[in-house]
Amino acid sequence: MADATHDFSKHKKTYTAVGIALFVFTAVTVAVGLVPWFDIGPPGPDGADFVLGLAVAATKASFVALIFMHLNHEKGLIYKLLLFTFLFFLGLMVLTIFADHDPIREQYDTLETTRGWLTDKPEKP
Amino acid sequence: MEIPYEVTPRRDTGLYNAKLGVWLFLASEVMLFGGLFSAYVFLRLGVQDGVDNPWPWGVSVHKSYVWLGAINTLVLIASSVGVVFAWVALKERNWRKYQLYMYFVVSCALVFMCIKSVEYHSKLYKHHGIKLVDNSVMEGVIVDGSDRIRFTGEKLVIGLQGALPAVLKDLKGDAFPKFTVTEGPEGTVGEEIASASAFKAWFAKNRRAFYAKLADERQRFRAEKASGVENPKPVSAASSVTLTAAEPFSVAGRPRKILLHNATALNYRDGVKVEGKLVSDDILFEVHEVDLQLVLPTKQRESVVWNVIGDEHAKQHFFTLQAKKYQELAEYYKDRGGVIPEKQLRGRFLNVQYVHVAADGHGEEHGKDDKHAAVHTSEPKPTAGGGESEGHHGPSKVIAVPFDQVKFFGNHGPRYGNYYAIYFTMTALHGLHVVGGALVLLFFVVFGKKLYLKNPEHLANRVEVGGLFWHFVDLIWIFLFPIMYLL
Repeated sequence: MADATHDFSKHKKTYTAVGIALFVFTAVTVAVGLVPWFDIGPPGPDGADFVLGLAVAATKASFVALIFMHLNHEKGLIYKLLLFTFLFFLGLMVLTIFADHDPIREQYDTLETTRGWLTDKPEKP
Repeated sequence: MEIPYEVTPRRDTGLYNAKLGVWLFLASEVMLFGGLFSAYVFLRLGVQDGVDNPWPWGVSVHKSYVWLGAINTLVLIASSVGVVFAWVALKERNWRKYQLYMYFVVSCALVFMCIKSVEYHSKLYKHHGIKLVDNSVMEGVIVDGSDRIRFTGEKLVIGLQGALPAVLKDLKGDAFPKFTVTEGPEGTVGEEIASASAFKAWFAKNRRAFYAKLADERQRFRAEKASGVENPKPVSAASSVTLTAAEPFSVAGRPRKILLHNATALNYRDGVKVEGKLVSDDILFEVHEVDLQLVLPTKQRESVVWNVIGDEHAKQHFFTLQAKKYQELAEYYKDRGGVIPEKQLRGRFLNVQYVHVAADGHGEEHGKDDKHAAVHTSEPKPTAGGGESEGHHGPSKVIAVPFDQVKFFGNHGPRYGNYYAIYFTMTALHGLHVVGGALVLLFFVVFGKKLYLKNPEHLANRVEVGGLFWHFVDLIWIFLFPIMYLL
């Protein structure tokens, strides 16, 4: 790559194509929030929409990382480095399973105890 | 000093050193943002049980922010493309093109920050929320100045120790009230204070006198104790001063500085007491939306928010919308066992209704399909009781919210709730990265010509490395955009 006589016209085409793809995916991301057709799972914002939104974001991110940041033809040392980053990042995300961990509440087998839902069933509107 | 630099990759690592360096740096940056993303998940999961102010689920809450965020995403992507093209231009030894692309990238960064500041301004200065005692929340705009406790004072009881009384900043009116000292330490009674600067000087002088007296008293106490006096008189120095105004004066008390107030007294947190008469402590509020996700479904119809708004139409409209959404859910679960999971009935979907409380008393939907459900960035319009129509929805109703019904009120700054806290933390940190990256890239284009003439490959490497950082900033935004604005 460090060679000045290298032909870059092919690269330029790739970069333009990726740029356009990223624009399109941005539109999809917005649509996941706005257009009912993209509202997968139960109506309204929920876990399924979140997963879809993050999947689109991850696709965009991998385009940026692989093409723009040249990770698709990078040296092995960088992958070794990023492996550690990935593992630590994974650790940070795994930490969040403790968010819903509550040994006191778990004695009562349902989440609904927290807001008085067991005694106070919602009225059907 | 010339720092030795190898343009070509090292044989052992296969990389030129700067590239290895920047990847190490980016790896640690991932950790920095990773911690914050983790915090985001914690906060979002924790918010469901109704401890905090409501989380603005989905986009219906702030649709115009979505467009600002989407435009910013496109701007950053365009700038990322610009950086790779600038690098290619250098590789092709085309200085002019390189310059153009780099200036494009830097101006993209500028546009990004401008849009960001529009967003921040709207959140911090234009949009407020009030949480009432039963955790119902109204979103809208507080009419300028009405968050102050309006009071007519006659007497001021201050202490001489500590800082200058906070009430001084809350005194309103053309002229500083003319005070006479009616009670206080020896020698002060009868003194007159007629201006703010005179007050400061008077306060400083008497505070010094008070502490001098206190020191003398301590000395006396120790001396008497040393000389064997039984039960010496305790240390005491008068610090309380009562100032009586010649004419009643107006106070606009900042609620954060006030501990308690009633019909006849205003007690500041710094111990100062204003005696007089309460004018009004109502907050005038232009209601845009009502949010009951923190109120139990069985309690929603009796929520205090309906008394405060006093608009039967808005209330009816709220529950009509809720029934409609319930139907949608019932429809969805009809083929899936017929039972709606209780999780779905909670908070985020069914109990959040965005009702525009119009001045003419008719509730309107600010729902998912409403193209005009823009964020309310309009200036507060004190058009209570009708007047000319404004925009699509007409003016919103301005209501008087009784102070004793209010649990919390504020702008949509970081302290408004967990969402806003993490929103500002992450977007501000990201914004700093944008500024930093743009400055580095600007440096490469403004001061790069000399290096370009000497060793273009060296400059190309620099741009590649700076570009890697820039792509990383773009990459973070790609995740921030959906999690903060859309989902």
